[in-house]
Amino acid sequence: MMNIIWALLLIGGFLGLVITSNVGADGTGALLDAAMNAVSLGIRLAGGFALWSGMIAILEKAGAVRAISRLLAKPMGLLFPGVTPDSPAGQAMLTNLSANMLGLGNAATPMGLKAMGLMADQGGSALATDAMCMFLVINASSLQLFPSSVISLRAAAGAASPASIVLPTLAATAVSTVVGIAACLLLRRRSLI
Amino acid sequence: MNTLLVPLLIALTLVVGLFRRVPVYDTFVEGAKEGLKAAVRVIPFLVAMLPAIALLQVSGVLGALVNLLSPLLKALGLPEQVLPLMLMRPFSGSASLAMLEATLKATPPDGYIGRTASTLLGSSETVFYTVALYLGAAGVKRSRYIVPAALLAWLAGSIAAAWFCRVF
Repeated sequence: MMNIIWALLLIGGFLGLVITSNVGADGTGALLDAAMNAVSLGIRLAGGFALWSGMIAILEKAGAVRAISRLLAKPMGLLFPGVTPDSPAGQAMLTNLSANMLGLGNAATPMGLKAMGLMADQGGSALATDAMCMFLVINASSLQLFPSSVISLRAAAGAASPASIVLPTLAATAVSTVVGIAACLLLRRRSLI
Repeated sequence: MNTLLVPLLIALTLVVGLFRRVPVYDTFVEGAKEGLKAAVRVIPFLVAMLPAIALLQVSGVLGALVNLLSPLLKALGLPEQVLPLMLMRPFSGSASLAMLEATLKATPPDGYIGRTASTLLGSSETVFYTVALYLGAAGVKRSRYIVPAALLAWLAGSIAAAWFCRVF
């Protein structure tokens, strides 16, 4: 999908230049400037990325993923029909959700895929079960508690207060997750499609 | 409060780590190595997206698109400048990071639009990528209501981002 979107962006930009024949618009300069800026941005971001993933590694070793999993076990039983928290699929799911909350994408994804595989073995059909739908929608609604890469980017962009978006981000993430859960619960009943 | 937040989180992490007898320094260095690798991995994506966005900006296409859709966004309470970022969010994480960089260049990072754009990025995930990856791994062909429900969550998160940035 990104293949088409990316190509359309560049072709659309080129066509826009031709159609408007913008007086003084420097397409070549804009392209090369942006490419160079991309590399220096990546290098500036590396500092923030490294600092935060070092800290997260400490939390991970201190058992944070397990601690959050334990907190999530109770509510999980209510959301995922047919998957108990202590089953292998339930364990993989809890680890995935906890790792996502800490922003550990690298640890979260393999566990999420494992959970999906185990649930598919149980279900045994090409149709997504209600538990799978709920799990995926929660995953797609963002769970990260601390938006570390956004903060790094804001610092790189010269923000006076890069972390000022932590509170609104937490609140907006909560809204999107709750709406996703509610949508699943509503659609669950009426759909056998 | 905001300037204290990151130092506070770091101090708390170290207290928890020491309490749990984690070799904090060695663990930090190992983790930081992973962070550096992640940043290097992001660079090619930024090189793909930032020039594409720049070309759209300089050619006036982005401005025209934003003008076209701005009545709809205003009705939802969203500032029109965050539209490109909002539309990119469900498709690609690194592309939306590049969009945020472009937005923060065009408007002050600490202003309402800059803050809303930043919040928007953190309030949703890459819906299409996540769904395709997970369903593919499970061999599930029919996704039922997953995509509509996830997009509803994305829209709600975006509207909430604009609203909370006005309030906080």
